[in-house]
Order: sequence, then C-alpha cells, then structure tokens
Amino acid sequence: MSTETNTNNAPEEEPSCSELIKGNKKGFIGWLKSHKLSTLRRFVLLAVVVFFLLQFFRVKLAVGSLTGSLALWFVNLLDVFAYLESMVASKDFGLIAIVSVLPILIAYLIFGRSFCGWVCPMDYLFHVTDRIRKCKIFDFKISPKYGYIIAIGFLVASFAIGIPVFTNYFSHLTNFFRSLTGLYFYIMDLPVAVDVMLFSFAVIVLLLVLELIFPRMWCRLICPVGKVYGLFNKVSRFRLRVTDNDLCKKCRACDRVCYMGVKVSEYVIKGDKNIRDINCILCGRCVEACNNKSNILRINLSLK
Amino acid sequence: MELDRRDFLKLSLTAGAAGALSGAISVFDKDANAAPTKEEFEPLPNIKVGGIIRPPGALSEKEFRAKCISCGVCVNVCHTMKYDTLSIAGLGDLKNFGLPYVKDTRDFPCALCMECPKSCPTGALQPVKKEDVKMGMALIDLSICFGWNGDVCLSCSKACPMGASIFDFYNGEWGNQPMINDKCVGCGLCVKYCPLGGSAIKVITRDEYKKVKDEYLADFRKTISLSNEERYNLVYGINLPMIMSRGRMIEREYRD
Repeated sequence: MSTETNTNNAPEEEPSCSELIKGNKKGFIGWLKSHKLSTLRRFVLLAVVVFFLLQFFRVKLAVGSLTGSLALWFVNLLDVFAYLESMVASKDFGLIAIVSVLPILIAYLIFGRSFCGWVCPMDYLFHVTDRIRKCKIFDFKISPKYGYIIAIGFLVASFAIGIPVFTNYFSHLTNFFRSLTGLYFYIMDLPVAVDVMLFSFAVIVLLLVLELIFPRMWCRLICPVGKVYGLFNKVSRFRLRVTDNDLCKKCRACDRVCYMGVKVSEYVIKGDKNIRDINCILCGRCVEACNNKSNILRINLSLK
Repeated sequence: MELDRRDFLKLSLTAGAAGALSGAISVFDKDANAAPTKEEFEPLPNIKVGGIIRPPGALSEKEFRAKCISCGVCVNVCHTMKYDTLSIAGLGDLKNFGLPYVKDTRDFPCALCMECPKSCPTGALQPVKKEDVKMGMALIDLSICFGWNGDVCLSCSKACPMGASIFDFYNGEWGNQPMINDKCVGCGLCVKYCPLGGSAIKVITRDEYKKVKDEYLADFRKTISLSNEERYNLVYGINLPMIMSRGRMIEREYRD
C-alpha cells in the first residue's frame, strides 16, 4: 500500500487538506474504498436522524432528542451531561435518571468520544460549513482543557438557578431536535409556540456562524457534552491505535486533517500505541489520510 | 380616459399589495382572521388558571423545572399516541422555556394514556396510577352549564375517564346539575366534550383551586338553595340568554 515515491524525509510541498483526504483511488467506488470510516460514519448519522424523524410518523424507534430519548419503544436513554445538570439542579440523584443514563455510560465506556464524530448531527452541519470556507487548515491555540472550566461553570449555574441551564437553553442537541419538532408541529397545525422553534433555529444558525469564524471552536472548547464524553476516551475499547510507530514518515497529514486539532503525529513519534486524546472524536479522518502514506493508523474495537 | 386608467392601475396595484401583505401576515399569524379569540369566551372569567398545567405525573413545579431537560420525549410520545396534548413553552416565561405543558384542553385534552411518565428519562414525570394524577382541577361554570340550566346533558360525565367517582349529581327539576369533586385529575376531556360553545368547564391548577375553592363552593350552595321562583328568574332571565348568545357567537370548531 505504502509503496509511494515519497521516501525522503525532506519537507515537501504541503498538499491542501482536501487533497489529503481525497485518497489515491479513482472513481466513486475507489473513493468509498479509501473512505470506509467516513462513509460508515455518515450512514450511522443518517440512520440516527431518520430514526428521530420517524417519530413524527408515529414510529417509536427513537423518540425525543439526543439529550434524552425513548429508544426502541421502551428503553429510556439520557445524555451524561444532561444527567449531571439535572442532578445538580434538583439536588437529587434520581433513580429513574440513573437507570436511563446507565446504557449510555456503558455504550461510551466501549466507544469513547465517538458520539461526537458518529452521532452528533452538528458534526455534519459543521462539515458542510467547512466546505463553504474552502477547507482551511485548522489552527487553534486555546487548550481544550479550558472546556472543563466551562462545563463546571454550567453545572454551577444549574445548581444556583435550579434549572439545567445548558441543556435547556443552549444545547445544540436540544435545539436541533426542538427546531425539528417545532417545524413539524407548526406545519401540521398542532399546539406549538412558534418562538421556541425560531429560538432553536437561531441557536443552530449562530453555531454555524461561529463555525465560519472559529472553526470547530464549539466542539474543541465549549461543548460540555463532548467534554464529558472526552473523559471516556481514556478508558474506551474503541480507540485510535498505531500499528507500527517506526513506519511513520512524519508527513503530519493526520494533524492537518483533524477537525479537533489533535496532534496525532506527536503521539506517534512519542511511541504511543494507543492514542487516548480527550479531543479525539474517533472520526477516522487521520486514518484515511494516513492510508495514502504510511498506513499505520487504525480505528477499531479491541479488548486489549 | 388616460387618468382613469392610471388610477385604476394604481388602485389595483395597491389592492394587490394589500392582499399580498395580509396574506403574508396571515401566514405568520394564523388566527388573524378568526373573529372571537377563545380567551374572550372562557368559562369562569374571574377565576385564573393560576399557573401551568403540567403533564400527568409531574413533580412539584420547582422540582419539575430542575429535573426537566427539555428533551421533548413527552411531547413526541404524546404525538405518537395521536393526542398531541403536550406543547413546548415559549419565551414568554424564561424560567419555563422549553418545558412541556398542556396548552389547550379545549382542543387537545389529555387522555391519560400514561405513556409520557413511563418514557421520561429524567424522572421529572413520575410513573403514577391514573387515579393519582394531579394535573389540575376542572370547574364547571354553573351559569352557562346546560345541566344547571334546565337540561339533562351528561356530556362531561360521559367523557370523564374516571367516571362515577368524580361526578356528584344533584338531580332536580332544574336539570341533572353535575358537580366535580376533589378526585378530579384535571385531564380536560370534559372540557373538550362540553357541547356549549367555548365549553362551560375550565381546568385550573391545584394551587389555584385551593385559593378559590371556598368562593366556588359558596356559589354552588347558593345556586342550589335558591327558591323555585328565584331559580326561574336566574335561568330564564340571565343564564339562558347568555348560553344562546354564546351559541351564536362561537362556532364550536373555532380553529377553522
């Protein structure tokens, strides 16, 4: 696979990030073959959104939103940060809430922060917005660790006011699904407050504008939902792995395609076998970029 | 001739613009053309609803606001059950923003299917038995109720999912005279099925009911203890003309 002309370590002319992700195989089938993870990722997201849209046609495959939902007719699910906020605001652990947050905890103990890359609809909307911005190479100076201060700030605010502040007002997940519900109810002339729908749409549009100015700042720094899932990356079974650190050609293609600004190559050069960065959303773009060169990155489930 | 034509063009253009504008407005505000708003013809106009009617099984107001994360499961489950009772609150009250409530029992009453408490992921709605639900309290406006003004209607008691345990009937020559007791869960089915224009029943919160209970019951006792002649004057002099005017002014289906 890696029998390419690029064997010298001298810095070559940097290809743009769209070239990096394009792959070396020709045609649509070739593109699919070199983008297995991206294709699968989009299918998962499409399935999730379609399941949530089916609720309007009275199919209870997935009802509610990604913060809290009723899945497969009888399973209650609850987002971890939403649980934390709800718990802190009501000063009560909440037996029902624990029962509904447990499946999510178990799922992400296995899958790490893959929620952000595979399930969150904002990931795709941000990706489309990136296209408009002509795929500029991301550079972002603020450390993602400050995000935990923001998350704790939201928890403190929830505790003080007695309302889950982030999840009720600002959450992209709540607002995304609330705007869908609002739109459908408005079209079907069912009881709905129009200002809820408009507010939710406004929040989503604001996030997209933020994406245009500060690429992925929401995901990297602010979004507390992702920050909480980031902690699961430290122990998850599904993770980014390096097959052979010595084969790395130090082209840093992985760093340049990463949405989240993870310095993958530094981990590889350091000699880490498992890359457990809290900002890694396990999207697999680095794996696809690496396929063209060294082909040493993998994302898969492993029990070791 | 030229001037006339110009005037005609001007006039038709203005009319067209006005029509387009009113059309545009009516797209945003669907009730713009509906003559009587339902608020004007509420039963018991001097008693306030006194808060927000929450979905069945809701915790106390403060705890509910702390627990609810506005995920919309209850609203959408209600939609999948084809009742569409629950709605998401708007920006009018910021503390209540995004939380579910029963918007309008006259169109979309709660049928007590008890699916939303089961599916609430946070426990803001607790799974309870139908009989223990305390969403609110339905009050009958004695001055416009058919049963209190010489008729035998029984629509409310037929619609009630709790049936005989809720209604006390004071049968007499002035009608079957229904009265709703404290066991009422506040689902609002009776509100929808009241045949009177704009309904003669109103659902208020339990807190508000505690405040107005004495006054309401005093009114009830006074009405039932009236002498025959006084009652005749009340029914034929005041109440029946009011009922007739409501019938004329309100279409039962006020939502086009």
